[in-house]
Amino acid sequence: MLEITKLDKCFNNKIVLDSVSMQVKAGRIALILGTSGVGKSTLLRIVAGLETADNGTVSLDGLNFNIKSHERNGLVGMLFQHFNLFEHMTVQENITFALIRAAKLSPQEAQERAQALLARYQLADKAQVYAANLSGGQKQRLALARTLAMQPRVICLDEPTSALDPVLTSFVANSIQELAHTGYMVLVSSHDTALIERLNADLYLMQKGKIIEATSTTAFLKEQENYPRLSSFIKGQEHHELKEL
Amino acid sequence: MINFELIRLALPVLLKGVLVTLKITAAAFIIGITGGTILGIAHSSKNNFLEWLVGAYVTIIRGTPMLVQIVFIYYVLSMTGLQLSPFVSAVIAIGMNSSAYVSQIIRSGIRSVPKGQIEAAQTLGISKGDTLRYIILPQALRVVLPALGNESVTLIKDSSLASYIGVVELYKEGQTVISQTYDALSVYFVLAGLYLILTSTVSYLVMLLERRLNRHVRNH
Repeated sequence: MLEITKLDKCFNNKIVLDSVSMQVKAGRIALILGTSGVGKSTLLRIVAGLETADNGTVSLDGLNFNIKSHERNGLVGMLFQHFNLFEHMTVQENITFALIRAAKLSPQEAQERAQALLARYQLADKAQVYAANLSGGQKQRLALARTLAMQPRVICLDEPTSALDPVLTSFVANSIQELAHTGYMVLVSSHDTALIERLNADLYLMQKGKIIEATSTTAFLKEQENYPRLSSFIKGQEHHELKEL
Repeated sequence: MINFELIRLALPVLLKGVLVTLKITAAAFIIGITGGTILGIAHSSKNNFLEWLVGAYVTIIRGTPMLVQIVFIYYVLSMTGLQLSPFVSAVIAIGMNSSAYVSQIIRSGIRSVPKGQIEAAQTLGISKGDTLRYIILPQALRVVLPALGNESVTLIKDSSLASYIGVVELYKEGQTVISQTYDALSVYFVLAGLYLILTSTVSYLVMLLERRLNRHVRNH
């Protein structure tokens, strides 16, 4: 179980996280909702070891995580909003690189694992293409395959649907749900309210660095009136989207 | 007018000079690129002292004429008892000068690599050293290759300053021919031509390398 306990974080005297706590069990998804700048990404970045918290702890099955990410042996995988692929490497190299250099697999083993993942994410025919030349959807599948290759326990996805069209959104939602079924602990940060209906997840609404409402997607969908702030957040997002149209 | 017969006779001597010019350039380039890469990495590090140190070095080198640096290395160091040959002095001075410029080129290249890729490497458990070597530097070098190409062309031209402390390279050989024939026009004409051939060849090689490194940018 991933336990996040009372995390505080300030950037230049601005409070980004204010005593944030949550637990994510294996096979569960934590969907963290909120407008941009409320601290969702920072929370994920702390879990992934890219930032350190000012106070509070993150632990995985009792193992404290106050260590830099490259010393965690890839226990926490992170999927970035802009994928952050190694653009000068081929699709296959994007996966094998960390397997060989960090997980210390032999090139042969790394290649086998990569090929299996590429087949699963329909990228087998792109293995020798440079990552820079993939389409948006392909880049995201590769980013996911690259993360899974390291066999992490926890997977953080930062705004996974923001760069995608609606068709891909539902593909990504299915993939996220599948990750949970497989037994990963999944953290998703998003402002995309469409994910509420598409995921079976624990739901957290954040505002100004605090969790202001917590429930599950099923409980929320059953009795929305019990969750006024989530309901108004969804209305606000819909209004915002209409304005953008 | 230009005396082509004289040029024909002087060419073997001048080509000997070309060889020395190439040696100076190549050796200085190796010092410049190695030193400059190390300095560029140090300048990009989060260590304030290192950053300050490299900044000071770059300011001093860029703020003083190369001729002064060559003379400094050759004469001033010899006063302290460290007697270097004119060739070695010139190579060290030109190489150190180049390293200051190269460090800034490399630094800008390192900055051009998206920070997200470095973070992705971090979450995948890749060490800092491997990230630098396999993620940052290959992409940084591709970006700065045109600038490094310019730097190598500049080095060819700068190498003529070595003649001031008596290194017999292309320019110095030219001077010798002039002093024997008094035909400055013809000799300078052929000198310019030879330098132009050298610089164009290097530019062309850099362009080939650039194309090769840019493979992944083209569509497949």
